[in-house]
Amino acid sequence: MDKIFKLSKKEQVIVQFIMIAWAIVVLVPFLSAVLNALKPNVGAVFRDPFGLPDPVTWGNFAKAWVNANFGRYFANSAFIALTSVAIVTFASSTTAFVLARMPFKGSTIIFIGFMIGVIVPIRLALAPLFDTVRALGLLDTLWSVILVQAASMMPVAVFILVSFFQNISKEIEEAAIMDGAMPFTVYWKIMLPLIRPALATIALLTFVQAWNEYFLPLIFIQSEELYPLTLGLNQFNRQFSIQWHMMFAAILIMMAPTIIAFILASKQFISGLTQGGVKE
Amino acid sequence: MNEQKQTRFSYRTIKNFQRTLLLLPGVLLYGIFNFTPLMMMVPTSLLDWPGIGPKEFVGLDNFKKILGNEYYRDQLLNALSQNVLFFIVIIGTFLVIGTSLALLLSFKTYGRKYYQIIYFLPYPMAGAAVAYLLNLFVNPRGPLNAIMMQFGLIDSPIPFLGSEDTALTTLALFYSWHRMGFAIMLILSGILAVRIDLLEASMLDGANRWQSIKNVVFPVLGPAFILITVIIMVDVFNNADYTLLIMGAEAGPFRSTDIMGTFLYRSAFGASAASSDANFGMSAAIGLITTIMILPAALFLALKNFRNK
Repeated sequence: MDKIFKLSKKEQVIVQFIMIAWAIVVLVPFLSAVLNALKPNVGAVFRDPFGLPDPVTWGNFAKAWVNANFGRYFANSAFIALTSVAIVTFASSTTAFVLARMPFKGSTIIFIGFMIGVIVPIRLALAPLFDTVRALGLLDTLWSVILVQAASMMPVAVFILVSFFQNISKEIEEAAIMDGAMPFTVYWKIMLPLIRPALATIALLTFVQAWNEYFLPLIFIQSEELYPLTLGLNQFNRQFSIQWHMMFAAILIMMAPTIIAFILASKQFISGLTQGGVKE
Repeated sequence: MNEQKQTRFSYRTIKNFQRTLLLLPGVLLYGIFNFTPLMMMVPTSLLDWPGIGPKEFVGLDNFKKILGNEYYRDQLLNALSQNVLFFIVIIGTFLVIGTSLALLLSFKTYGRKYYQIIYFLPYPMAGAAVAYLLNLFVNPRGPLNAIMMQFGLIDSPIPFLGSEDTALTTLALFYSWHRMGFAIMLILSGILAVRIDLLEASMLDGANRWQSIKNVVFPVLGPAFILITVIIMVDVFNNADYTLLIMGAEAGPFRSTDIMGTFLYRSAFGASAASSDANFGMSAAIGLITTIMILPAALFLALKNFRNK
């Protein structure tokens, strides 16, 4: 057994060589972004893309944040992502609770309805979706993005939670029901504490998805003061596409929260996002 | 409070009432903003409707136009064939590079925990940030061309995204760079799930390492490969973020990066605000055609999840 997975010295060197090669492919674009975002002007970027910044200019980040409105975009993105997380964790846990623990005549039909959302991506229904959002008067508001984003996360969240609920034993719940506990109480007092790990996964998935979403804001939001970071970066690229040092700084601002969160919780990220990707 | 109610309503009534209240938020949210639009694709596809103003019922005219009218058919065939090529490049890199790296990660390599984290790093990043980062990185004046010139690999900078011949492949490689960590993790978990007694048996039979991997590990990886293929297929046939971000809805140069997602977007909103050929009915029809194309793959994925429960 060990003979298969253990490597001799010589093999170890070769394997390390390949691993480092791919690590370089992954890391070099990030490193070049950091190097060049600290350069004083675009000339220094063109002259030597891998040269060290001289002098180190932190001002590019401040300029992007203040002059190019990134503070505003950042706040919009955070609002969209956090509200989506709140809505999805609440709505998916209550719905999944009913579907998994107290099924009724129509629950299979509802479950199949959710499944259709997994089978057909909502982007394909671009025209009717736009029409629905407009009919509700939500066009050009942050709520259009939040509600559509939250709705599109529902099937994945419900599936993850239903399978989680089904693994919880019936005993505690039955004892509580014998004592006359109502569904609200069972959900809030008994189930919610038990499903916390699954809810954390769903919150992470939703946050990353909503923070990164480009397409929904693109079709729903026109006013610049409502732009999230993704549209803001798009706008910034139109204005400053030649100012590379500024572009790199803006890209890093956009990535910073994700990188920090990923480093702090890489294990949860890897397992959670892989799981979410499979369910989609 | 509960007791007060119980005097007026039976336990059963309250239970049903509360159950409905618990069910409703999720069902309404999903029903209004996801399910209804999906269903509305069918009636909308029978309309000639620029998005505002009067709707005109035209029956199957939109489908006839897409499949028969040269203007639309050529766009569809162009977008579709380029989408297939886009998909093949991505899945090819995933299966070759992803499998190799996952295999190496399964060995007892120094620092493999750190390699896993590094390899996964791009995956959680926003597509918009990745697209612009790599766009600058492969620019003729950017770092990649600079370093290749320095090492004498090329004589003059390559316009990866500026040329019709390379733009689509370059965008596909952006996608691969972004999502490779996902493929690696799926294949790696497939390898780690291989039953150890099977491997031991093959070693006892005198098989060497490569023979054991080929005969025991690879056959078990089939499901992981199929899963990756299906997920990526569903994704690349509706998501065109890279093209929209870098090339815009016109999918330049000369529509050489046009895929189904950009074609669909143009049909609903036109390439620019000024153009008037937007038709929501046409857009819904294209959406339906795309749905039918990815349906086998998507159904497979859904049924697989269903069976897992």
